[in-house]
Amino acid sequence: MNVHFKITAGLLDGIFADLRRPHPFAAERAGFIGCKASTCRDGALVLAHTYLPLPNDWYVDDPRFGCVFSADAMRTAMQFALTEDASMFHVHLHDYGGAPWFSRPDLRESSKFVPDFWNVKPDLPHGTLVLSADGAAGLCWYPCQKTPLRIRQITALGFPMRFLGRAG
Amino acid sequence: MPTEIDLTELDQLCGGAKEYTEFGLNYVLLPQLRLPSGCNPAVLDALLCLSTRDGYPTRLYFAQQVSSKNGLNWNASNVAILQRSWFAYSWNYVASGRPIEVLAQHLKALQ
Amino acid sequence: MSDLFSRQSFLGKDSEKLLRETRVGIVGLGGGRTLKKQQSAHVGVGRFAIFDPDNTDFPNLNRTVGATFEDAVSKTPKVVVAQRMIMGINPQAEVWPIQSEWQSDFPALRACDVVFGCIDGFSGRAQLEESCRRAMIPLIDIGMDVHKGDPYSISGQVVVSMPGRPCFRCMGFIRQRDLDDEGRRYGEAGGNPQVVWSNGVLASTAVGLFVQMVTPWCRIHPGSAFVGYDGDRFTLEHDARLTVTGKTQCGHFSGIGDLGDPFWKP
Repeated sequence: MNVHFKITAGLLDGIFADLRRPHPFAAERAGFIGCKASTCRDGALVLAHTYLPLPNDWYVDDPRFGCVFSADAMRTAMQFALTEDASMFHVHLHDYGGAPWFSRPDLRESSKFVPDFWNVKPDLPHGTLVLSADGAAGLCWYPCQKTPLRIRQITALGFPMRFLGRAG
Repeated sequence: MPTEIDLTELDQLCGGAKEYTEFGLNYVLLPQLRLPSGCNPAVLDALLCLSTRDGYPTRLYFAQQVSSKNGLNWNASNVAILQRSWFAYSWNYVASGRPIEVLAQHLKALQ
Repeated sequence: MSDLFSRQSFLGKDSEKLLRETRVGIVGLGGGRTLKKQQSAHVGVGRFAIFDPDNTDFPNLNRTVGATFEDAVSKTPKVVVAQRMIMGINPQAEVWPIQSEWQSDFPALRACDVVFGCIDGFSGRAQLEESCRRAMIPLIDIGMDVHKGDPYSISGQVVVSMPGRPCFRCMGFIRQRDLDDEGRRYGEAGGNPQVVWSNGVLASTAVGLFVQMVTPWCRIHPGSAFVGYDGDRFTLEHDARLTVTGKTQCGHFSGIGDLGDPFWKP
């Protein structure tokens, strides 16, 4: 299954602006993107629509990790998924140039909380993205598949189109 | 979010009736709608558009063209709505209102 | 960069790969569409989905680039002609020839990165745009008309509908009254005049916009595009309707429910 994640340039720019804001104690910010899904001849599309930023007080002060979000954050994202029949994708930023990838804590924690979205929307794909200054990578938990898929292509729609992450 | 449409009567007629909104227009999917006698196919998916579209105040679309006792002008074919392809005959001036009545008015063309 | 595309290296160091990996949808293969497929293949597009239910015949031979007299005699499907042309330019290209209306194969359309549309009528254009917006696919529409009169005149346009940016309705290119008029019409009264040279201008403009969209060569980032063509004076100009709206976002395709497949199943 090939997964192609698409987002408008305007929405992506807004996400960058939010994730680059300093936080009183968290080293990194995070958010959730509400998406819709579609199948296509050679796989599936995940189509980003709404960004849910996390207010400052939805972060937990844990010096072991760059970013820990609270139960309020998860609850809000779950509610959005339920109300809007949406796929949810967590997003955070490693603000350097080049192709990003998830840290071990990122992989460990996302494998716990991303499948929780299936408690409200079991038929939809959910996942996580990591952005860099000029790239992106993502993992998608696709229904009925136990292990996450690497997102094959991440595209920002605009003039020009930005092909942020193309997995081989 | 879809506007509130009472689907009770439609659901009694055709189980699984479900409302959708696409680009501001309201539709009701009628899975496996049974058509008046003499139609072929006798049962198929239909889509009732309760909003003004393409010059029609309401319109009934079908998953395929239907043959019936009456010769009808199927002037809409392969219309893409909700990511499916639909067909419709020209049957105008059915105003929007109680969904079951709107449906009945459109089905008169097939009787 | 291979020798094949060395003369277009200014498009960017990764441009050959970008174009090779892009899938282009071409909806309708008459007239200008045939030039789009030809030029797209020449610039290095590697993947195509081509949609047309029709066959080559004598009335369309005057503008179906790539079709031969023999194709008209034997009524070769247009998608076969298109595939033959593309593979003749790039034997490595992946081509999906779909000999039906595009509405018969939504999954193939959705797999495209960019779609060229050349559909007659506003209703068809509106539907194609709606489906492209649902799958977040940029749509480049071209159209040409020969206006009957004394004398005749030729005009046309290339319009880009970019997800997140103004749509055809925002730009005033598609108006409700045009859709209503078409919806009530009881069938066409014969074929409209069509000629290859103005199709060529429009198709080349569309391919240029596509390359500007996919490769990083140009510093001008229009966001949207609405280019009008005066076929009598041979001029191309930005249509005032785009700038007059002053819009930068779309007010018609804005809800989350307007994305994706409403009948989604994994």
